[in-house]
Amino acid sequence: MTNLSIQIVTGDSRPIFKQIVDGIRMEVAKGNLAPGAKLPSVRGLAMQLMINANTVAKAYGELTAQGLLEARQGLGLFVTEPRQLLSEEEQKKRLDAAIGTFINEVAYLSYDSEDIIKAVQDALTNLGGETKNDSDEG
Amino acid sequence: MDYCIETEGLTKRFGKKMALKDFTLGIGRGGIHAIVGSNGAGKSTLFRILLGVTTPTRGTASLLGEDSRLLSPAVRGRVGYVNEEHTLPLWMTAQQITNQQRSFYPSWNQAIYDQVIGYFDVDPNQKVSGLSRGERAGLNLSMALAQAPDVLILDEPTLGLDVVARQSFLEALMFTETEANTTIIYCSHQMEEIERVADRLIIMEKGTLQNNSSPDDFVGRISYWIGDFANGLPAKNTLPGFLTARTIDGQHHILVADQDDTFGQVLKNNGAQTVTKAPVNLERAVNAFLTKNHNTPGSRV
Repeated sequence: MTNLSIQIVTGDSRPIFKQIVDGIRMEVAKGNLAPGAKLPSVRGLAMQLMINANTVAKAYGELTAQGLLEARQGLGLFVTEPRQLLSEEEQKKRLDAAIGTFINEVAYLSYDSEDIIKAVQDALTNLGGETKNDSDEG
Repeated sequence: MDYCIETEGLTKRFGKKMALKDFTLGIGRGGIHAIVGSNGAGKSTLFRILLGVTTPTRGTASLLGEDSRLLSPAVRGRVGYVNEEHTLPLWMTAQQITNQQRSFYPSWNQAIYDQVIGYFDVDPNQKVSGLSRGERAGLNLSMALAQAPDVLILDEPTLGLDVVARQSFLEALMFTETEANTTIIYCSHQMEEIERVADRLIIMEKGTLQNNSSPDDFVGRISYWIGDFANGLPAKNTLPGFLTARTIDGQHHILVADQDDTFGQVLKNNGAQTVTKAPVNLERAVNAFLTKNHNTPGSRV
């Protein structure tokens, strides 16, 4: 069983099920959850986060529909091998949305474009780097 | 659909006051249904009618398929009720009350009782008068769940409990393994709890039903807009779905229900120079609904 170190907060404008979806996606992106890793049971994660189990089930359902998790009969849920399920159009839409949010956040900071691009580049390199380290260990 | 609670055009009048007005609600079996409403919204009247303690002025109510005015002892035995006072006979010990309760309910499940009471530190030989509020709440919940009820009504069960007791209460409620598919009706004003526990959110206001959906879908109904109006806020009746508005630093912050992104254009047509849409959380969305017919100061700093 993999330890899942995601957090949820109440009072946020993101519903709890969405916070779980985002949290797990981030753990997978960072390589903390490697392909083939087993997720906690619905009840287990609900108890860890102290929320209704149906909320966890909904989040797991969403992640399964997105192709990030897969159910193995009688064994539970596992992280899938990375593959792209979204259409090119959908990917472009999500990228644009993410860039829009990002630009909103950084627009008022006193960095020039070059600094910002460098910081983004470094963050992306880190993402890739961590994934690589994990596969080396395995 | 198979409802565990169903009302049709339910109306209850107390003199001039309408406690319930043409109230039609269906609650399906299973899951946790949170009911939210200001004081006087009609929650207690609804429960009293459902349990057959009060008769409606008009309309019908049924519980587990039986007319609430003619409930059989068998159906009454399938309903659990826990109120905020956690009233129990003060002179009896926890053990005596449990023994008495067990004799009333043929389907009593001792394993569930033991599991739930394990969340709380209740000495069976302690008299109720010596138990803390949290311990009494725990004892009440343990007995209610051990009855393996088909419907469990919890009326502000965590009111006045400290953080530790509140957490134990929620954990015991959500994670006790029972075979029964108990439908839980959970009245609370604690939005944090509702966000954690509720499958469905029912909102009552002044005796009417305002919402019956998942909490997420409810939040999706509400949007928050910030606008600069050179000539002040337009008349409220010109804004569709208007709930509440406040003036902060000269800008108008407006909450509306059931409007899509074209509402920004509506604001512009009404004289807004700039319009921004802001995110909204459950608490703010619920509060906007509950305060929509109340007076608010027209302007704040």
